[in-house]
Amino acid sequence: MLSSELSILLIYGLITAIVLGLKTTGMVATMDMGYLLSSRDEKRTLDGMLGRMDRALNNSVVALTLIAPAILALTLRDQSSSNSILAAQVFLAARVIYVPAYVFGVRGLRTLVWTIGFLATVVLYFAAL
Amino acid sequence: MTPELTALALAALLQAVQFALVSVTANLQLGVAKTASPRDRDRLGGPLEAQLNTRNARLFRAMNNHFEALTLFTIAVVVVTLSGQSSPVTAAAGYTYLAARVAYVPAYYFGLSPWRSLIYFVGFAATFVMIVSALI
Repeated sequence: MLSSELSILLIYGLITAIVLGLKTTGMVATMDMGYLLSSRDEKRTLDGMLGRMDRALNNSVVALTLIAPAILALTLRDQSSSNSILAAQVFLAARVIYVPAYVFGVRGLRTLVWTIGFLATVVLYFAAL
Repeated sequence: MTPELTALALAALLQAVQFALVSVTANLQLGVAKTASPRDRDRLGGPLEAQLNTRNARLFRAMNNHFEALTLFTIAVVVVTLSGQSSPVTAAAGYTYLAARVAYVPAYYFGLSPWRSLIYFVGFAATFVMIVSALI
């Protein structure tokens, strides 16, 4: 399952969807349902852990947008190699650590794994080129 | 072209329509002097989107929500297509997503509760079904 870049991309997409589900669950648990089902005309900010989860989710979506073209191009051009698979695995591992590191406020680690994930993305672009 | 790709192309068109709706309503309400400026917060007295009236702000939020949904949906469609796993289930999921996202815009604009949330969930579930069916 983790042996091809496409599978890793799919798994990362699923994880992002799960984080979105967690954030929504958190909102349902802590905010009043009337507001959530309304058109949310008055802006309410998310605090604490829920705010961190919201920011981690936004960051995950950006990472997803950036890595998807690299993996799709690499697959279309048949440029997969053991290096590119390793880069995709490193990306996935880094992004899996990123979310709890953000939610639990682990300073340093969050920035470190973000950087690793970003560098792995750049490596995949070069692999595709 | 697979049905999923057709749904994806139509979803991108829908986003172009949503973008145009936001652009036209925002320009009509706020005036070109504000929208064409560099939108510096200190000069405008806050972010531009905060100055939109209720209905126009809903169009803006609906568009942003679709950008997020499209990111996941695009990946689902492209992977299903590239790996040659298109099936009646994934085709149905693609069109379900499209129908849900079309319905989402008026549901948000007219403040239909809880329909907006329900419609959002249908689109999200359709994307989820496509990703999972490509993995198994």
